[in-house]
Amino acid sequence: MKPPTSTQTLRAACLLALAALGMMVWSLFDPRPVPIIAAMSVGQVLGTLSLASFLYLVAANLRARR
Amino acid sequence: MILPSSPFAIVALACAGIAASILLVYLVRQPPLMRATKVWLLLGLGVFPVGTALIGNVEGYQATKKRQFCGSCHVMGLHAADSNDAKSGSLAARHARNASFGEENCYVCHADYGMFGTVATKIGGMRHVWLYYRRYRQIPIDEAKKTIRLRAPYPNDNCIQCHSTKDDLWLKKADHKASLAAVREGHISCASAGCHGLAHPFFGADTP
Repeated sequence: MKPPTSTQTLRAACLLALAALGMMVWSLFDPRPVPIIAAMSVGQVLGTLSLASFLYLVAANLRARR
Repeated sequence: MILPSSPFAIVALACAGIAASILLVYLVRQPPLMRATKVWLLLGLGVFPVGTALIGNVEGYQATKKRQFCGSCHVMGLHAADSNDAKSGSLAARHARNASFGEENCYVCHADYGMFGTVATKIGGMRHVWLYYRRYRQIPIDEAKKTIRLRAPYPNDNCIQCHSTKDDLWLKKADHKASLAAVREGHISCASAGCHGLAHPFFGADTP
Protein backbone atom coordinates (compact mmCIF):
# COMPACT_ATOMS: atom_id res chain seq x y z
CA MET A 1 0.00 0.00 0.00
CA LYS A 2 1.32 3.41 -0.96
CA PRO A 3 1.64 6.10 1.75
CA PRO A 4 -0.82 8.95 1.22
CA THR A 5 0.41 11.96 -0.74
CA SER A 6 0.57 15.36 0.89
CA THR A 7 -2.53 16.46 -1.02
CA GLN A 8 -4.48 13.45 0.19
CA THR A 9 -3.31 14.02 3.76
CA LEU A 10 -4.30 17.67 3.61
CA ARG A 11 -7.72 16.83 2.18
CA ALA A 12 -8.26 14.30 4.96
CA ALA A 13 -7.13 16.87 7.55
CA CYS A 14 -9.61 19.41 6.14
CA LEU A 15 -12.46 16.87 6.23
CA LEU A 16 -11.59 15.85 9.79
CA ALA A 17 -11.52 19.49 10.86
CA LEU A 18 -14.88 20.13 9.19
CA ALA A 19 -16.38 17.14 11.01
CA ALA A 20 -14.93 18.42 14.31
CA LEU A 21 -16.28 21.91 13.68
CA GLY A 22 -19.68 20.43 12.84
CA MET A 23 -19.81 18.67 16.20
CA MET A 24 -18.75 21.78 18.09
CA VAL A 25 -21.36 23.91 16.34
CA TRP A 26 -24.03 21.25 16.92
CA SER A 27 -23.34 21.41 20.68
CA LEU A 28 -23.81 25.20 20.62
CA PHE A 29 -27.21 24.95 18.93
CA ASP A 30 -28.38 21.87 20.81
CA PRO A 31 -26.86 21.94 24.32
CA ARG A 32 -27.96 18.48 25.47
CA PRO A 33 -25.78 15.71 26.91
CA VAL A 34 -24.96 13.81 23.70
CA PRO A 35 -23.99 16.81 21.51
CA ILE A 36 -21.91 18.35 24.30
CA ILE A 37 -20.12 15.09 25.12
CA ALA A 38 -19.57 14.43 21.40
CA ALA A 39 -18.11 17.92 20.87
CA MET A 40 -15.85 17.71 23.91
CA SER A 41 -14.55 14.22 23.11
CA VAL A 42 -14.86 13.03 19.49
CA GLY A 43 -14.88 16.58 18.12
CA GLN A 44 -11.68 17.50 19.93
CA VAL A 45 -9.93 14.27 18.96
CA LEU A 46 -10.79 14.82 15.29
CA GLY A 47 -9.70 18.46 15.47
CA THR A 48 -6.42 17.55 17.15
CA LEU A 49 -5.76 14.82 14.58
CA SER A 50 -6.35 17.20 11.69
CA LEU A 51 -4.04 19.85 13.15
CA ALA A 52 -1.39 17.24 13.98
CA SER A 53 -1.43 15.84 10.46
CA PHE A 54 -1.11 19.34 9.00
CA LEU A 55 1.82 20.19 11.29
CA TYR A 56 3.47 16.85 10.49
CA LEU A 57 3.13 17.58 6.80
CA VAL A 58 4.62 21.07 7.15
CA ALA A 59 7.51 19.68 9.19
CA ALA A 60 8.14 16.95 6.62
CA ASN A 61 8.00 19.57 3.86
CA LEU A 62 10.59 21.73 5.62
CA ARG A 63 12.84 18.73 6.27
CA ALA A 64 12.67 17.71 2.61
CA ARG A 65 13.75 21.21 1.54
CA ARG A 66 16.89 21.04 3.66
CA MET B 1 -32.53 23.46 19.23
CA ILE B 2 -31.80 26.99 20.45
CA LEU B 3 -30.20 29.99 18.84
CA PRO B 4 -27.04 30.76 20.81
CA SER B 5 -27.12 34.32 22.11
CA SER B 6 -24.20 34.61 24.53
CA PRO B 7 -21.17 36.57 23.30
CA PHE B 8 -18.97 33.49 23.82
CA ALA B 9 -21.18 31.34 21.62
CA ILE B 10 -21.29 33.99 18.91
CA VAL B 11 -17.48 34.25 18.89
CA ALA B 12 -17.23 30.43 18.74
CA LEU B 13 -19.66 30.33 15.82
CA ALA B 14 -17.74 33.09 14.04
CA CYS B 15 -14.46 31.17 14.48
CA ALA B 16 -16.12 27.98 13.21
CA GLY B 17 -17.57 29.83 10.21
CA ILE B 18 -14.23 31.37 9.25
CA ALA B 19 -12.40 28.04 9.67
CA ALA B 20 -15.02 26.17 7.62
CA SER B 21 -14.85 28.80 4.85
CA ILE B 22 -11.05 28.52 4.63
CA LEU B 23 -11.21 24.71 4.54
CA LEU B 24 -13.97 24.61 1.94
CA VAL B 25 -12.09 27.05 -0.31
CA TYR B 26 -8.99 24.86 0.01
CA LEU B 27 -10.95 21.68 -0.78
CA VAL B 28 -12.60 23.24 -3.82
CA ARG B 29 -9.58 25.03 -5.28
CA GLN B 30 -6.80 22.73 -4.04
CA PRO B 31 -3.98 25.28 -4.49
CA PRO B 32 -0.32 24.14 -4.35
CA LEU B 33 1.22 23.97 -0.87
CA MET B 34 3.03 27.31 -0.89
CA ARG B 35 3.78 29.57 2.04
CA ALA B 36 0.50 31.50 1.68
CA THR B 37 -1.49 28.25 1.50
CA LYS B 38 0.24 26.98 4.64
CA VAL B 39 -0.60 30.18 6.51
CA TRP B 40 -4.24 29.97 5.45
CA LEU B 41 -4.38 26.30 6.43
CA LEU B 42 -2.77 27.08 9.77
CA LEU B 43 -5.62 29.51 10.36
CA GLY B 44 -8.26 27.07 9.09
CA LEU B 45 -6.93 23.93 10.78
CA GLY B 46 -5.30 25.47 13.85
CA VAL B 47 -6.10 28.96 15.05
CA PHE B 48 -9.84 29.19 14.39
CA PRO B 49 -10.77 25.57 15.25
CA VAL B 50 -8.75 25.84 18.48
CA GLY B 51 -10.62 29.07 19.25
CA THR B 52 -13.92 27.33 18.55
CA ALA B 53 -12.94 24.39 20.77
CA LEU B 54 -11.76 26.54 23.68
CA ILE B 55 -14.76 28.84 23.64
CA GLY B 56 -17.09 25.92 22.87
CA ASN B 57 -15.78 24.11 25.95
CA VAL B 58 -16.54 27.09 28.17
CA GLU B 59 -19.96 27.41 26.59
CA GLY B 60 -20.60 23.67 26.90
CA TYR B 61 -19.55 23.68 30.53
CA GLN B 62 -21.90 26.59 31.25
CA ALA B 63 -24.71 24.78 29.44
CA THR B 64 -24.27 21.68 31.61
CA LYS B 65 -25.07 23.80 34.67
CA LYS B 66 -28.45 24.94 33.36
CA ARG B 67 -31.79 23.43 34.38
CA GLN B 68 -32.74 23.12 30.72
CA PHE B 69 -29.80 20.73 30.27
CA CYS B 70 -30.77 18.57 33.28
CA GLY B 71 -34.41 18.53 32.17
CA SER B 72 -33.51 17.46 28.63
CA CYS B 73 -33.59 13.80 29.75
CA HIS B 74 -37.28 12.94 29.95
CA VAL B 75 -36.98 11.31 33.38
CA MET B 76 -35.92 14.70 34.79
CA GLY B 77 -38.71 16.57 33.01
CA LEU B 78 -40.98 16.67 36.06
CA HIS B 79 -38.19 17.98 38.26
CA ALA B 80 -37.39 20.75 35.78
CA ALA B 81 -41.07 21.61 35.29
CA ASP B 82 -41.57 21.86 39.05
CA SER B 83 -38.56 24.17 39.36
CA ASN B 84 -39.96 26.32 36.55
CA ASP B 85 -43.35 26.53 38.23
CA ALA B 86 -43.64 29.90 39.96
CA LYS B 87 -46.51 28.59 42.10
CA SER B 88 -44.76 25.45 43.34
CA GLY B 89 -43.81 25.42 47.01
CA SER B 90 -41.31 22.57 46.75
CA LEU B 91 -37.83 23.06 48.10
CA ALA B 92 -36.37 22.86 44.58
CA ALA B 93 -38.80 25.44 43.17
CA ARG B 94 -38.25 27.86 46.04
CA HIS B 95 -34.51 27.69 45.47
CA ALA B 96 -34.99 28.17 41.72
CA ARG B 97 -36.75 31.47 42.47
CA ASN B 98 -33.71 32.64 44.42
CA ALA B 99 -31.39 34.64 42.17
CA SER B 100 -28.32 32.89 43.60
CA PHE B 101 -29.62 29.61 42.18
CA GLY B 102 -31.90 30.65 39.33
CA GLU B 103 -31.46 28.71 36.11
CA GLU B 104 -28.64 26.71 37.70
CA ASN B 105 -30.54 25.44 40.72
CA CYS B 106 -30.04 21.74 39.86
CA TYR B 107 -26.30 22.19 39.63
CA VAL B 108 -25.89 24.46 42.65
CA CYS B 109 -27.76 22.04 44.94
CA HIS B 110 -26.40 18.77 43.52
CA ALA B 111 -22.80 19.71 42.78
CA ASP B 112 -20.10 18.53 45.11
CA TYR B 113 -17.99 21.37 46.33
CA GLY B 114 -14.43 21.63 47.57
CA MET B 115 -11.17 21.62 45.66
CA PHE B 116 -12.11 18.88 43.17
CA GLY B 117 -15.86 19.35 43.42
CA THR B 118 -16.35 20.38 39.81
CA VAL B 119 -14.38 17.41 38.50
CA ALA B 120 -16.16 14.99 40.85
CA THR B 121 -19.52 16.41 39.79
CA LYS B 122 -18.72 16.06 36.11
CA ILE B 123 -17.54 12.46 36.57
CA GLY B 124 -20.80 11.76 38.42
CA GLY B 125 -22.67 13.45 35.58
CA MET B 126 -21.06 11.10 33.06
CA ARG B 127 -22.33 8.22 35.17
CA HIS B 128 -25.84 9.70 34.91
CA VAL B 129 -25.57 9.92 31.13
CA TRP B 130 -24.36 6.31 30.95
CA LEU B 131 -27.20 5.09 33.17
CA TYR B 132 -29.75 7.10 31.22
CA TYR B 133 -28.76 5.61 27.87
CA ARG B 134 -28.34 2.09 29.30
CA ARG B 135 -31.41 1.85 31.54
CA TYR B 136 -33.73 4.81 31.70
CA ARG B 137 -34.04 6.13 28.17
CA GLN B 138 -36.89 3.84 27.23
CA ILE B 139 -38.80 3.71 30.48
CA PRO B 140 -41.96 5.77 30.94
CA ILE B 141 -42.00 8.56 33.46
CA ASP B 142 -44.38 6.71 35.81
CA GLU B 143 -41.93 3.85 36.10
CA ALA B 144 -39.03 6.27 36.49
CA LYS B 145 -40.79 7.86 39.44
CA LYS B 146 -40.72 4.53 41.25
CA THR B 147 -37.21 3.46 40.35
CA ILE B 148 -35.00 6.57 40.25
CA ARG B 149 -33.29 7.37 43.51
CA LEU B 150 -30.25 9.33 44.57
CA ARG B 151 -27.27 7.00 44.71
CA ALA B 152 -26.36 8.23 48.21
CA PRO B 153 -28.35 10.26 50.73
CA TYR B 154 -28.38 13.96 49.89
CA PRO B 155 -25.50 15.51 51.86
CA ASN B 156 -26.38 18.26 54.33
CA ASP B 157 -23.05 19.87 53.47
CA ASN B 158 -24.64 21.08 50.24
CA CYS B 159 -27.32 22.93 52.26
CA ILE B 160 -24.79 24.18 54.79
CA GLN B 161 -22.84 25.96 52.02
CA CYS B 162 -25.48 28.68 52.28
CA HIS B 163 -27.39 27.86 55.49
CA SER B 164 -24.34 27.83 57.69
CA THR B 165 -26.18 26.62 60.85
CA LYS B 166 -24.27 29.28 62.73
CA ASP B 167 -26.38 32.41 62.55
CA ASP B 168 -28.82 33.43 65.26
CA LEU B 169 -31.88 33.35 63.03
CA TRP B 170 -31.27 29.71 62.14
CA LEU B 171 -30.50 28.77 65.74
CA LYS B 172 -33.67 30.48 66.97
CA LYS B 173 -35.70 27.56 65.62
CA ALA B 174 -36.07 25.05 68.42
CA ASP B 175 -35.85 22.10 66.00
CA HIS B 176 -32.61 23.42 64.56
CA LYS B 177 -31.10 23.99 67.96
CA ALA B 178 -32.12 20.56 69.22
CA SER B 179 -30.71 18.73 66.22
CA LEU B 180 -27.68 20.92 65.56
CA ALA B 181 -24.99 18.26 65.99
CA ALA B 182 -26.98 15.62 64.08
CA VAL B 183 -27.58 18.03 61.17
CA ARG B 184 -23.93 19.06 60.98
CA GLU B 185 -22.80 15.44 61.06
CA GLY B 186 -25.40 14.44 58.48
CA HIS B 187 -27.33 12.06 60.72
CA ILE B 188 -30.56 13.99 60.10
CA SER B 189 -31.22 15.06 56.52
CA CYS B 190 -32.40 18.64 55.95
CA ALA B 191 -34.34 17.34 52.94
CA SER B 192 -36.27 14.67 54.77
CA ALA B 193 -39.99 14.32 55.33
CA GLY B 194 -39.72 15.34 59.01
CA CYS B 195 -37.72 18.50 58.30
CA HIS B 196 -37.97 20.59 55.14
CA GLY B 197 -39.60 17.85 53.12
CA LEU B 198 -38.40 16.19 49.95
CA ALA B 199 -36.90 18.62 47.49
CA HIS B 200 -38.89 17.26 44.56
CA PRO B 201 -42.57 16.50 45.00
CA PHE B 202 -42.90 13.61 42.56
CA PHE B 203 -40.30 11.14 43.64
CA GLY B 204 -39.85 9.03 46.75
CA ALA B 205 -37.46 9.49 49.63
CA ASP B 206 -33.75 9.82 48.90
CA THR B 207 -32.94 6.79 50.98
CA PRO B 208 -34.54 3.40 50.33
